[in-house]
Amino acid sequence: MTDPRFNDPLTRRQLLRRAAVGGTVLSLPALLAACGGGSAASGTTAAATAGGKPQLKDVLNFSNWTYYIDTKKPTTFQQFQEQTGVKVNYYEDVNSNDQYFAKVQGPLSQGKGIGRDIFVATDNSRFPGLYVSQEWVQELDKDLMPNFANLVDAQSSPPFDPDRKFSMPWLSGMDGIAWNEDLTGPVTTVSQLFEDPKLHGKVTVWTEMGDTLGLVLLDNGDDPSKVTDESFNSALERVKTAVDSGQIIKFTGNDYVAPLAKGDYAACFAWSGDVAQLVVDNPKLHWGVPEKGGIIWTDNMLIPLGGDVPTASTYMNFAYDPKISAKIAVETTYISAVKGVKDEAVKIDPDAAKNPLIFPDDNILAQLHQNDPAMLNNEDYVTKWQEVQGQ
Amino acid sequence: MSVQTPAVPLARARRRAGLWTLVKRHVLAAYALLVVGYLMLPIVVVILFSFNAPKGRFNFIWQGFTLDNWTHWDAILGIRPAIITSLEVALLATLVATALGTLMAMAIVRHHFVGRSTTNLLVFLPMSTPEIVLGASLLTLFLNTTAVFQLGFWTIFIAHVMFIISFVVVTVKARLIGFDRHLEEAAMDLGANELVTFRKVTLPLIAPAMLAAALLGFALSIDDFVITYLNAGATQTFPVFVWGIARVAVPPQVNVVASAIFLVAIALGLGNVFSQYRAAKRQRQGA
Amino acid sequence: MGAFFHRHRGLTPYLLLAPGILWLGIFFLIPLAFLGYESLQSGLFPNFEFTWEFSNFSDALSLYHEQLVRSFFYAGIATVACLLLAYPLAYWIAFRAGPWRNLFLLVIVAPFFVTYLVRTLAWLNILANEGPVVGFLQWAHVLGENDRLLATTFAVVAGITYNFFPFMALPLYVSLEQIDPRLLEAAKDLYASSTKAFLRVTLPLSAPGIVAGTLLTFIPAAGDFINAALLGTPKQAMIGNVIQAKFLESLDYPTAAALSFILMGMILVALLVYARVVGTEKLTG
Repeated sequence: MTDPRFNDPLTRRQLLRRAAVGGTVLSLPALLAACGGGSAASGTTAAATAGGKPQLKDVLNFSNWTYYIDTKKPTTFQQFQEQTGVKVNYYEDVNSNDQYFAKVQGPLSQGKGIGRDIFVATDNSRFPGLYVSQEWVQELDKDLMPNFANLVDAQSSPPFDPDRKFSMPWLSGMDGIAWNEDLTGPVTTVSQLFEDPKLHGKVTVWTEMGDTLGLVLLDNGDDPSKVTDESFNSALERVKTAVDSGQIIKFTGNDYVAPLAKGDYAACFAWSGDVAQLVVDNPKLHWGVPEKGGIIWTDNMLIPLGGDVPTASTYMNFAYDPKISAKIAVETTYISAVKGVKDEAVKIDPDAAKNPLIFPDDNILAQLHQNDPAMLNNEDYVTKWQEVQGQ
Repeated sequence: MSVQTPAVPLARARRRAGLWTLVKRHVLAAYALLVVGYLMLPIVVVILFSFNAPKGRFNFIWQGFTLDNWTHWDAILGIRPAIITSLEVALLATLVATALGTLMAMAIVRHHFVGRSTTNLLVFLPMSTPEIVLGASLLTLFLNTTAVFQLGFWTIFIAHVMFIISFVVVTVKARLIGFDRHLEEAAMDLGANELVTFRKVTLPLIAPAMLAAALLGFALSIDDFVITYLNAGATQTFPVFVWGIARVAVPPQVNVVASAIFLVAIALGLGNVFSQYRAAKRQRQGA
Repeated sequence: MGAFFHRHRGLTPYLLLAPGILWLGIFFLIPLAFLGYESLQSGLFPNFEFTWEFSNFSDALSLYHEQLVRSFFYAGIATVACLLLAYPLAYWIAFRAGPWRNLFLLVIVAPFFVTYLVRTLAWLNILANEGPVVGFLQWAHVLGENDRLLATTFAVVAGITYNFFPFMALPLYVSLEQIDPRLLEAAKDLYASSTKAFLRVTLPLSAPGIVAGTLLTFIPAAGDFINAALLGTPKQAMIGNVIQAKFLESLDYPTAAALSFILMGMILVALLVYARVVGTEKLTG
């Protein structure tokens, strides 16, 4: 039986009225775009400045992890725009190194761009090395980067880019264990995390293989920077056992943060900066490097194919100004790789400058290790790691 | 013994039946209200927390009322381009898919041709394929043809048109099947040729169905996550943006945008409900 | 121009179909073909080779049969739950809501207008360990002190049920609404009790709605991964999770492609069985 409503044809007036509604919806994006937001497409070249300086684009497109940038006004991006006239379109669309790689490998493998001038990859994954070896990233223009000299010595020669031709550190962070004091006493070892019955069903670890297995390897007394099949398998077994017993209930990216603060998780593997931001909301949270040692990693800025090298290099140079880097480090509570940042940080916030999460002292640094690139690149390991996650 | 008149037990039975029906009637209504509550609960939470003023970055404990999130809805980097992209894709994809789908529906319903049932099947298949497979297979196509297709706005657009077409066909087909051909024949008897008939008779009559299909398509497009996620490359639509930022915590501005979309949709829906109510009333009075 | 269509009347359907078919052909069928091609490849990213690797399918089945079975299980439970929850509601709206029915239909569809992810995330808030629901259930001694609602099978299935509820409720409503109430009156006149009238008249007449709703709910639910990802633990991982991880994280395209086809195949088999029981015209309409 046909619905009697359908027998009424739309009168012209009704159709026009509804089209008008549709029309306003049609113009909504145009309205929004006009209201101050620029379009996301790469801009045209700005007029060349006098004195032979390179032409910079109007717009810099930058992909990064979430909550990895300062937000207090004037933001460093606003300051950059004032200095150079370049507007930064900042996309927080890096959730995991693997997923980002999967997103961009298509166009990059064909020599095409990805609509970005800078993106970021973590050194304790196989990806920075892969990007470089596949020649999917462009060389930095060091002539535009006098601040390159501000790079701390410890970061001057990473294995995937020994001459720092393609990458510059963005921020570094530490792997450790966080716990909620309302739900448990201090959790200081991986063993406790995986085996304490009080924590059953309230523990999470990362999806990132380097981070999670790195900590477990250390807890086993093995060296995360020189991994053998044996040490890998025994670390993997421990994780698998904890998952099967229901101790570990999730493999997370950054998404352990809210449930930990909320009390859904009692303790978990956590990144140093996240917890520092969490303490504002929940002072019951604590973070520490595990007794047997932690992992330190660095996110690196890279210029993909199709990105504008002068504009990107200019930005990187800007980010290596200690004042700028200090603001970013203080607000994100991660570790900067720029010399002289501590002095600048004190001027912004004396308390933050004393924060060991942002400025770890030598004691802490001695406990931190880096991952073995060979382990990260081993396909077999990667498959086994996915299986433990139920995938 | 005389036969008892049926009136008494029948009356009692009817009263008992009345009581039972009364209870049943109310139980059902109470149940309906419970289900409505269940459906609306997360929405209420979302809207409520859009007004929250969290001290830190995490929006799950109520800390205070504020309108700041609504006035500064784009304070979160990336949210504005994401919602603009979502709206643009949805509009474009809906327009194209509605057009293509309506044409297909007309062909299927009105003509008998070779391959008609195959076409029916082809239209049905995308609806019965899980989104992950649709997205993954399309991704495979794009990855193997990067000379032509680069992941981004246009691949999202293509994907959305692809999965919306089937819904449009089904919706418009349903209307066309009940369509009274006599009206068209009458028009042609009065001298209109086929094109004019189409424009002046057919089109206005199927317009409501096309509109319904378009609205459905628009909703599907705005809300789509899985297919978009796999085929967006570095571009972000609003759902893709939310997935990304949910890795840390969902800022109140996400609630604001989600609530805004919801409220606009509800407003349109209520408008439609109201106009239909009035039309029905008019019909009852006029009939 | 009308004359052109007149003379080539036979062409008309094909011309009308052409753009749509072309679109579906290029962007649905061909990708499936590519997927098939990929499912028979072997090797490691980025060097895949076509080697008629049928073992991809058997390997995938043996490695991931748990997730496959689990997906159908969860989707099945969620579908039944949707049916049981939605039917009385649809019935009430169709028969008792009177002039308010459109309003209630809007309410059913309303959750759909809040982005899928956002409304699933809201459940994280609602079902939190420190939240009101868990608190209440613990007070009522339904839940133990150390029990939780989140990160459980219950949460995942509940999430799927919630998210696909409109897909069940709307077709049910449409078919219930079309039932002529005079048929029910006739049944009552013939001394049927309300229950019998329902079972013998209403229920069978609403069968097309049940079929449609079941399909529209089960099929997408079987391939879903978001509820499992947000609301579950690795022990609740569904096949959708595996497929997306293989595509995006391990970059193991051949296995991912093989799994996609296995999933599609299983759904088609389920559809065929269902169609046999129910009658094919109701499926494709």
